[in-house]
Amino acid sequence: MFTYLSIVVPLYNEEESVEVLLSNILKVSAHFNFDYEIIFIDDGSTDKTWEIIERLQKETPQLKAIKFRRNYGQTSAMVAGFDHANGKIIVTMDGDLQNDPSDIPLLLQKIEEGYDIVSGWRKDRKDKFVRVFLSRVANTLISLTTGVKLHDYGCSLKAYRAECIKTINAYGDMHRFFPALASMTGARVAEIPVKHHPRKFGMSKYGLSRIFKVFSDIFALNLIIRFSSTPLKGFALCAIPFLFLFIFFGILSTLAIVHDWTQGKATFFVIAALLNLMAIIHLLILGILGELVVSTSDLTHTQMPEITKKVILINDRDHNGTPWTVNHNVIDNFELKRQS
Amino acid sequence: MNHTTYKYSIIFLIEEKHDDFLQFLEKTYELLSSRSDSFEILILDNGTGYSMKNYQPRLLNLNCPLKAFALSKRTSQAVCLKGLLKECHGEILIVFGSHQQITEDSFIHLLDSLDNGTDIVSPVRQNRVDPIFNQLQSRVFNSLVKRITKTNVNDLSCFVRIFRREVLAETELYGDMYRYLPIFAERRGFKSKEVECINYQATSKTGLYGIKEYLDRIVGIFSLYFNTRFTRKPLRFFSAIGFIFFLIGIFILLYVFAEKFLLGKFIGNRNSLILATFLMVIGIQSASVGLLGEIIAFTHGRHKKEYVIGKKFDI
Repeated sequence: MFTYLSIVVPLYNEEESVEVLLSNILKVSAHFNFDYEIIFIDDGSTDKTWEIIERLQKETPQLKAIKFRRNYGQTSAMVAGFDHANGKIIVTMDGDLQNDPSDIPLLLQKIEEGYDIVSGWRKDRKDKFVRVFLSRVANTLISLTTGVKLHDYGCSLKAYRAECIKTINAYGDMHRFFPALASMTGARVAEIPVKHHPRKFGMSKYGLSRIFKVFSDIFALNLIIRFSSTPLKGFALCAIPFLFLFIFFGILSTLAIVHDWTQGKATFFVIAALLNLMAIIHLLILGILGELVVSTSDLTHTQMPEITKKVILINDRDHNGTPWTVNHNVIDNFELKRQS
Repeated sequence: MNHTTYKYSIIFLIEEKHDDFLQFLEKTYELLSSRSDSFEILILDNGTGYSMKNYQPRLLNLNCPLKAFALSKRTSQAVCLKGLLKECHGEILIVFGSHQQITEDSFIHLLDSLDNGTDIVSPVRQNRVDPIFNQLQSRVFNSLVKRITKTNVNDLSCFVRIFRREVLAETELYGDMYRYLPIFAERRGFKSKEVECINYQATSKTGLYGIKEYLDRIVGIFSLYFNTRFTRKPLRFFSAIGFIFFLIGIFILLYVFAEKFLLGKFIGNRNSLILATFLMVIGIQSASVGLLGEIIAFTHGRHKKEYVIGKKFDI
């Protein structure tokens, strides 16, 4: 029998919560009528997390586990989970009990409606105001710039069709942006409100450098989503403001020379115009170099996973004039069925 | 690994001519022969142009498996070691330079420090005998590296390293990275340890470091800084630099404009205005290089796994 669901949970120093977490998941999964697996990824914990997992594994055959040699961060942990998951659907969640496994069936239901990614939305967040505010700013920014509108990118509780997420091959703190990245090749994204429990153990840090990093990452994300197959276009767009500045300063320098504003000395306007020209040339050169880089790559990032290109509805009616309907109840994919 | 036939492979990487080399080699040979473990010796002349023929008669006297190689041109230590990895069959690799850097007792102590839980040991030289100025430079360098990589390394200048075969096989090493092997090994999840050793007095006295040495270290620091933090997220690095330049530019610009509009100063031919624009352009350029970096990281680096799995269950 094939595995339908893989639950991927990254854990880092969670000795207090790992046991409760597993029993919470098992409580929910007892009602599943399909095969599933639970994958714990120990992200190089220094406490007893792995010993507890080893013990739990003896009692729970569905539990699989991976231990990293050292701490590599949440993105890597999730990617390792994706790499080893056998399920057609992959659900990720936090290891610190902030997410509630009882939301998993809701996510699955939404996936069955035909979405490729369903993201949880902690509508009623139990965090400090500053944190909620900052993440709201980030979410709005990501939604506006990438066009994938989600209220809560930071929520770890998400469900993916395996094909859509495995092809991303994420790295370096990308786990927040999975839905936006997957949308590159056409994944259909939805979100549903989920429960949120306050963090019991540990604290998270929010500093100025972290805000800077997030902004920088959002910028990079947009570049990757929009221009990773047409870099020259992206760089040319960046050059447009400088083109305007170049024209502006060009006109001014002509005027300055004609009207002799600076008594024949090298004017600021000439130099400013040249500097802007330099910036334009620099950006275009980088764009061309970018084209080289992209064309020498294996181009997997431009290829659609099979699942997202499944036809939903070609035409309302077939040749005989009989209407077609979409069957939403098929777990695997959309399937066209003739109305009887 | 199935093709390890010896316990130790002793690698001598000769980077400079040293009169005492043969003496050093024989001493090491005797030291290891006195122990019960099997070992082999590999010598690689890294383009010093010193003919192996001179060594040959005395090398043949040694009663152990021995291989000697000579490169026509000097290559990086990383290339040499990666190449030698295919030639050597030891479970544990011991790397030496062309002269003795630590005393015999320290060496034995170092060798024994490689216990079950450790994958690589490196010596920290006590009572160093090279010029004060070198030691000072070394100290500054090491403390910078410590801060950048957030690892506890104290002596990266010492050539001697003892490590398990896997460390070299699984660590991606290139260029001048051999010096930082403990750091990169730790990043791959290996356990590194430092052991206090006594600096061997007789042959360790060297002259002052040249300009090249300093240049190497400065470049090394920068590449280490970038390599350990930003290879996956280049924009973070370049945009930070660009942001600083841009900010300074804006600041100067505001100041100059304030002078014009508040004090009525003429600004058309002021140098500070040009400087401001220049800095802003540099800022933009730096950030845009970061963007290209992101594209490279995404299109080419995505398939390189960041993580190393230590243990698995049921998978």
